[in-house]
Amino acid sequence: MQKKEARRPRTAPREAVILFTVGATGFAIAAGAVEEIRGLEGLARFAPPFKLRSLARVKHTLARGKKTCFVVDAAAQFGIAASRDTRLLLLRHAAVAVQVENVARMAEIATLHALPRAFTGDERRWYRGLAQVGDDVVPVVAPEAFLTAAEISLLHAGGAQGAAREVPEGAVSA
Amino acid sequence: MTSANANSFVLFPLGEKRFALPAETVTELARPDRLQTFPHTTPLVAGVLLRRGRVVPVCDFAAVLVGPQAPLRKFYLIANRSFGSVRERTAIPVTGECTLTSSEMLPPTGKLPPYVCGLLLLQDEIVEVLDLERLAAVEARA
Repeated sequence: MQKKEARRPRTAPREAVILFTVGATGFAIAAGAVEEIRGLEGLARFAPPFKLRSLARVKHTLARGKKTCFVVDAAAQFGIAASRDTRLLLLRHAAVAVQVENVARMAEIATLHALPRAFTGDERRWYRGLAQVGDDVVPVVAPEAFLTAAEISLLHAGGAQGAAREVPEGAVSA
Repeated sequence: MTSANANSFVLFPLGEKRFALPAETVTELARPDRLQTFPHTTPLVAGVLLRRGRVVPVCDFAAVLVGPQAPLRKFYLIANRSFGSVRERTAIPVTGECTLTSSEMLPPTGKLPPYVCGLLLLQDEIVEVLDLERLAAVEARA
């Protein structure tokens, strides 16, 4: 008599994500990509020394011990007009933080849908894919798309020239 | 004898005009659904629909085909687009009900846009048959 194989429940691997908003738009980022979520205190205004449009979205830095974190304005990154930022997501992979309006909650996603091929623009770099959260589809951002290694290198070069100056608390807005 | 050009087409309205797609590329006509949007930079892609657990991009070609004054789109025509060897569903907003017709497709003549791959003569109406890939390419160059 054949042994019946024990049936294991099939569970898709799930990924923990942090849901955040920029303006009226919801996004997700892998929870493992975020080292810390914090407020906007301690930001120093930063003027990128190079006239590169792609660097204009870096408006602040944050001192973390001996390290300098470059802070990317998510609204500027995604071309969103209005955002009342209150939170920073400090990323794990590099000295980069992302300024967002709010952090909503954590969630688990079962499926990461590939971005449809009809999308051919910058979004192919911005997003790892799309996730269904409840009835909503939210883009799951690619952490490395906020600043590339080359951009970070350029910004460090600018930082060495002493471009940063302190910003009073509460002065950071959209 | 059947002509090589004889084929089935789905006719769809965009305002006053009707256009056609080869029936083999069309999978369904969908009722209005919740358009979900997020930031992107692809021209004429309006967002996505979530249909039966699948993400379907919405490509609104009305501005290219009938100009900015296109009336409210009420339905989605779901068609297949080819990306190399991969086929992907795309939702195209249309303004009314679609119909299936069988007719011989005539080759495009004169100064027609590159996305018109043929013409259908239907009684007193000339309907342009669209090539979605070329239409999308026009949109990308715009």
